[in-house]
Amino acid sequence: MARKLTLFVLSLVVSSTINTISAQDVAAGKALFMGKCASCHQVLKAGTGPALAGLEGRHKWSDHNELLKWINNPAGYMASDAYTQGLKAQYGSMMSGFPEITLKDVGDIVAYINSAAVPVVDKIPPGGPEPAKGNSNAVIFGVISLILGIIALILMQVNSNLKKMSDDAEGITRPDPVPAYRNKVYIAMAAIIFFVVGGYLVSKGAIGLGRQTNYQPVQPIYYSHKVHAGINQISCLYCHGAAWDSKHAAIPSVNTCMNCHKAINEYVKGPKLYDESGNEINGTLEIEKLYKYAGFDPKNPTKWDPTKSKPIEWVKIHNLPDHVYFNHSQHIRAGKVQCQSCHGEITAMDEVKQVSELSMGWCVNCHRETKVDFNYSEGKGNKFYSIYEKFHNDIKNKKMDSVTVKDIGGLECQKCHY
Amino acid sequence: MKKFWIIAACATLVVGMVSCNKVRRSPGRAYMPDMAYSRAYETYASTEALHNKGVNYTGMPVAGTIAKGDMLQVYTLPNDSAGYAQSKNVTNPLPALDAKEFVEAARLYLINCAICHGEKLDGNGPLWKGGDGPFPNAPRNLLTDPVVANMADGTMFHSITYGRNSMGTLWFPINYKATLDDRPLYK
Repeated sequence: MARKLTLFVLSLVVSSTINTISAQDVAAGKALFMGKCASCHQVLKAGTGPALAGLEGRHKWSDHNELLKWINNPAGYMASDAYTQGLKAQYGSMMSGFPEITLKDVGDIVAYINSAAVPVVDKIPPGGPEPAKGNSNAVIFGVISLILGIIALILMQVNSNLKKMSDDAEGITRPDPVPAYRNKVYIAMAAIIFFVVGGYLVSKGAIGLGRQTNYQPVQPIYYSHKVHAGINQISCLYCHGAAWDSKHAAIPSVNTCMNCHKAINEYVKGPKLYDESGNEINGTLEIEKLYKYAGFDPKNPTKWDPTKSKPIEWVKIHNLPDHVYFNHSQHIRAGKVQCQSCHGEITAMDEVKQVSELSMGWCVNCHRETKVDFNYSEGKGNKFYSIYEKFHNDIKNKKMDSVTVKDIGGLECQKCHY
Repeated sequence: MKKFWIIAACATLVVGMVSCNKVRRSPGRAYMPDMAYSRAYETYASTEALHNKGVNYTGMPVAGTIAKGDMLQVYTLPNDSAGYAQSKNVTNPLPALDAKEFVEAARLYLINCAICHGEKLDGNGPLWKGGDGPFPNAPRNLLTDPVVANMADGTMFHSITYGRNSMGTLWFPINYKATLDDRPLYK
């Protein structure tokens, strides 16, 4: 009995090992596919090479030996095969050979392709925009002030009634009380409050003239900085490279968008997108808008002529008045200021809005506080500042501990107005 | 009748305040428009007014002029398979990078290449993320991929200039001589 059992267990073990060996290993296939095939092939879509879904139904590929011959030596296989010659003509280049691939590898890769060929319909994780949080504090304060106001009115009424009663009891006759709207004290107080509040609002409005804090225009394409610079971690300078070299941060050309979007033609992997009014945005349709500007046909990518593309008329958000000079490279390259210190948390904005007020007071405050990297002697820092001999001496003699932008002329009118 | 007007005024005020949207879609007004808005044509400004006046303005450079730093005037191989094949004979005319230029090369790599090819040159940047990123094709591993390892300097220059397969054209960083020497970047 015991022997029979061991035999049974043994046979089970053996058969299961045989099974794992013979079964096409999807995980191994995925690793191989990602390492060797994915540079040119996708499962569901044609890219540099054809889509591989349904591979076994095409040509002689149901026979893995044929497939292996093709993968190991494409040039040799193609010499006597019209089908693969046609593929080369269609896609413009021949597949690279992979002589290290074995028959088992081919089986694994095909198993992975078949498992991945079923399109996942709803890849977008659920989760709408967060419900607008009512400003509960404001409501509570409003209710409390209303109640206090009513109590004050009641108490005033009680007070005047009591006074009248005591007057009646003591037999004093007074003239009829003046109604509140003709009481000179009340009118004077109301006038003072009116002038204070009104003056505050008028001056605030006048200061705000020409300032655009929170300006958030609708752009021709719903371009989410959150998706690009936040989730996908593209450097600001990839698109706005001119900020490093010139006055303007520069709007990237359509060509820069197409560097990636020639290949990325749908939006499926990121979070759902919403505009400021809460309407859902279809990212794939927004990419198609880009294709219209670029004159790009995703079904015919090789025929794209970049010279025929039309510029996208983005709406400029951060505007300085004409009488102010501002230079991006001076700030981010020489001054090493981060983009976010003026533009706010761009990596969290779907639609960009102006965060800073871009007023003169705002510029000047920063120039007063920002320290200049003065330590050129230590091998780093900016050599330009070596001409400020007095400051270097003062730092050496401990008369000052740091130099701010203000000290090197950052508050002088002509630096920005000329 | 008087009461009616007071109530109506209050109601309009309340409706007016409630309907105020917090999203600011307009830039607002300027105090002195002639000081705020440029009289000259600024970068990216519309040139429609010129067209309306009948002035012929295209915004394109004069035919035959060469942009500053335009490499395609120096590098003449065409963007086709013949040009690609010839590119392996192109040699780097510039001397090897010094330490300071390497810092600049690394900076350019991190901005322009690392989003796909990875900070560590392992072909796994944030746009690919082992297949979880949005980019549909795997970027080459610049350290181990045999295609990259056996690629001639000139062919690499050609590929970066014009783009290759899924990679777009990246002509903008190649004004720096850094590009031809980018492989020993971290070695």
